[in-house]
Amino acid sequence: MNPAKDDREWKKGSAELLILSILEDRSRHGYEIGKLIDTRSAGTLHFRVTSLYPLLYRLEERALVEGRWVEKAGQRRRRYYRLTRTGRALLGRQRRSWKAFVEAVGRVTGIDYA
Amino acid sequence: MPDWRLLVTRRVREISPHETLDPDTVEELAQHLRDRYDELRTGGMPQDAAVEATLQEWADEEWRDAPRRQPPRRPGPATIHDLSSSGSVVTDAWRDVRHGWRLLGRNPGFGATVVLTLAFGIAATTIAFTVINTLLLTPLPVTDADRLVTIGTREPADAGDAGTYLPLSFPNLEDVQGRSTSFQSLAGYAGPFGVTLTDRTPARRIFAELVTATYFDTLGLAPLMGRFMLPGEDDIPGAHPVLVLGHAAWQGRFAGRADILGQTIEINGTAFTVVGIAPPGFKGLDPIFGPDVWIPSMMTPQLVPLERRHWLTDRAALSFSAVGRLRSTVSVDQAAADVTGIAAQLEREFPVANRGRSVSVEPVSRRSLMGISPQMAVLGSFAILTIPGLVLLIACSNVASLVLTRAAARGQEIAVRLSLGAGRSRVLRQLLTEHALLGFLSGAVGLSAAWAGAHLLWSFRPPEYAQNLVDLSVDGSVVVFAIGISVLTTLVFGLAPALHAVRPNLAAALTDDTRTAGHGRRTTRWQQALLVGQVALSLTALATAGVVLQGLQRAYAIDPGFERQQLGVIMLNPGQAGYDDDGAERLYQTIRERVAAVPGVVSVSWASNLPLFTGPSRKIATAGGTPLGSGDGVLTVVNTVDVEYFTTAGVTIGRGRAFDEGDRRDAQPVAIINETLARRYWNGRNPIGDRIALLGDEVPRRIVGIAATVNYDEVGEPPQACVYVPLSQHMTDAVVLYVRTAAEPGPVLATVQREIQRLDDRLDVADARTIQTVLDQALFGRIMGSRLLAVFGFLALALASLGIYGVVAYTVHLRRREMGVRLALGAEPNAVLRLVLRQAFRLVSLGAGVGLVGAIGASAIVSSIVYGVSPVEPVSLVGAAIVLAAVAFVASFLPARAASRLDPVSVLRTH
Repeated sequence: MNPAKDDREWKKGSAELLILSILEDRSRHGYEIGKLIDTRSAGTLHFRVTSLYPLLYRLEERALVEGRWVEKAGQRRRRYYRLTRTGRALLGRQRRSWKAFVEAVGRVTGIDYA
Repeated sequence: MPDWRLLVTRRVREISPHETLDPDTVEELAQHLRDRYDELRTGGMPQDAAVEATLQEWADEEWRDAPRRQPPRRPGPATIHDLSSSGSVVTDAWRDVRHGWRLLGRNPGFGATVVLTLAFGIAATTIAFTVINTLLLTPLPVTDADRLVTIGTREPADAGDAGTYLPLSFPNLEDVQGRSTSFQSLAGYAGPFGVTLTDRTPARRIFAELVTATYFDTLGLAPLMGRFMLPGEDDIPGAHPVLVLGHAAWQGRFAGRADILGQTIEINGTAFTVVGIAPPGFKGLDPIFGPDVWIPSMMTPQLVPLERRHWLTDRAALSFSAVGRLRSTVSVDQAAADVTGIAAQLEREFPVANRGRSVSVEPVSRRSLMGISPQMAVLGSFAILTIPGLVLLIACSNVASLVLTRAAARGQEIAVRLSLGAGRSRVLRQLLTEHALLGFLSGAVGLSAAWAGAHLLWSFRPPEYAQNLVDLSVDGSVVVFAIGISVLTTLVFGLAPALHAVRPNLAAALTDDTRTAGHGRRTTRWQQALLVGQVALSLTALATAGVVLQGLQRAYAIDPGFERQQLGVIMLNPGQAGYDDDGAERLYQTIRERVAAVPGVVSVSWASNLPLFTGPSRKIATAGGTPLGSGDGVLTVVNTVDVEYFTTAGVTIGRGRAFDEGDRRDAQPVAIINETLARRYWNGRNPIGDRIALLGDEVPRRIVGIAATVNYDEVGEPPQACVYVPLSQHMTDAVVLYVRTAAEPGPVLATVQREIQRLDDRLDVADARTIQTVLDQALFGRIMGSRLLAVFGFLALALASLGIYGVVAYTVHLRRREMGVRLALGAEPNAVLRLVLRQAFRLVSLGAGVGLVGAIGASAIVSSIVYGVSPVEPVSLVGAAIVLAAVAFVASFLPARAASRLDPVSVLRTH
């Protein structure tokens, strides 16, 4: 089995949850989002530009996040994303079901998460 | 370094040739790659390796496979305003203004509500100020008004309650003019009083002022056209019939005709030549009512009614007001000392006429409102400004509440800015700029509304007097006032919410959860405090309006002592239509007979006085056996009346008899006095048969009757002395026809007017009034005042009810989760309804408590101004509280009911 392809499949299922979680406490621009996922997962999870942005645009289309261009003096303008109310609600629900899912997988496979 | 934009564009085109990305997306993707590259380079990676590694970030197959669409483009500017300082305050400020403007454009409902609410309060306050400015603050349109003083007669304190300001007698005026060294120039003026334009059919009334030839020079005025009167035109009585026409009268009554100079105008049967036009804006020294024409004082006998024709020679008759221009080296005090000395000389030289009389010298500005002291004027101004001021305060607190709500909604935006590194002071400045912009817009709208409103108010002037009444002065000081009020308003509504907004819990605000952040709660506390204030203010306004209304009601309920229903009066000036004494006497007789025959007329008589419009004018010289000195006699109302006056006017004769046909010109002179006068001098003894004489009477009169004391000058006035003398023994050529009718007097009066016109069309009969009209006119000030107060009070209430609704609705919104839980746990909808109402009413009662204290304070002030009102008026206070409670109930019931009807399932699902 191709580990890279595996990786991609896992991410597909969890990508939404990851991005929404990253945006939970403040608004961030795209590079920052990718970087944070990378850092927090200690390099296990990595989004390339070609997967991250289509995902962000899709989330925006579904009104889960909201992007805005922000200008700061002496810097290039950047697009910041923040959670919408719907996004926040979805995040809560996904967290719960993800937790339930992981626990269930753990019980079946005998992997101990504790 | 590669061009990342170009790279992104090419790659996309290679992967999917039909796809074109919008520039923003290209920019965003390129930015990402650039960031990655920069990061690697900063980490010390060589350039080529860094490019190589960055390109790893691009996976063609990912892009190809990813389901996507064009990123949505938002309408309008999606860029958050840059709050980093540009280093220039002006640039920052300009940027802030533009940003504020954009924000308003994005939320026009909010902007419009704020601007309209504030503009309303600003307009109300500015209108009130415009009135004060017009009446009190606008300087006279004369040269160096601060060098002008008025000289008045000061009567001994016990002489009567006609006020401290009295004119000089003409002979005294001439002597002061001749002897004083303090003045560059000194002038006298009398009037304005009504005269008849006799060359018109029908005859018309205008207003004339008698002035000495020095009048216009003293004031430092120059004529618009022609000239003013010359000294030589004011030296021989009756010799020079010339006049100066007022600008407004020239424009209004004479259509601004350029050829008016040299033409003659017939007044009271004398042809006067127009020699000049007064400058525009000058309407005499009275701040409210000015004349149409100025006529030399020597024409007095041609203009005034018979009983005043002695004015030029009678040293006791206080007839001419005096105004003087001080020499440049003389102070007001020095002038006062000088003139007081002259007054003392005159008292020694003419002890009968001048006994006890002194003079007062005051700057013209000090007596800008006839008879109203500066302290009263200031107090009155405060009273006039208080209610609109309260309305403005309520508007401010409503807006502050609105701004707070919005600040809560914008908490996240502000937090983003702060988190992006904008300084708090910078964010504060931006918020204040937004509020200042709102304040400026409100000020502009408010000022325009005030301008329109004040002119509307002024358009209610009776058209026949419109050009005599003071012109509204919407001048620089009104604009300054409106700007000042707007700035103050902005600070009041804008500062607290702005300070509040830049202090939120950043993390909580960023997560945008009003439920857990506590930010919403804190906002609500502010709003609740404002609501308490609003309720208090509107209760104060309502209760004050109620107090004034009660005073008015009481004034109408007061029995003035005469017939209040079936009575009509018509003003008549036979003297001005060319009648001499004998002619007038015959005319009175004829009219009385003709009018008595008109169907519907019960009785008819003549009198010199109009009810409620005649103050005390003459002094008692002899009462009983003892002659009184000039200083000792009571100042009394004198009414010259014909037979049947008492039955026609409905004034009771308590003792003795009314006048009858036997009181002829050649019979024993008689008089009827009122009870107040009887008590004053006879003190329980019977005055009938005793003698009484007015100052200037040659022969004393025998008292034949005692009449009830009625209201002569004002409704509800303190009792005044009054002497009635028979018309046959005291002929006058300016009279009032009293017509008692069987039913409503209006239609009968019209018939009577036609009847008199048929007799002689030179007689001006246009001024006919029912007694109800007379009463309304006497109470005009109070009616207007209470109407304005009531309007303001209800507007305050309307604003407060909006405020109550807003705060309760917002609280319910914040707590809807809690309500949902309660409902889900089985709470009755009614319990939730009661809960919300109870909490709303806790605030309302707190506000009402504060408001009651304010209302009592305000009523105390009102009661010191309005007659017949006590400081604590339970009916008004309780009434206002009930109205307020009812309105508060409705305003909080709507959101409360909405809360009780929440669907717990959907509320809990969204939370």
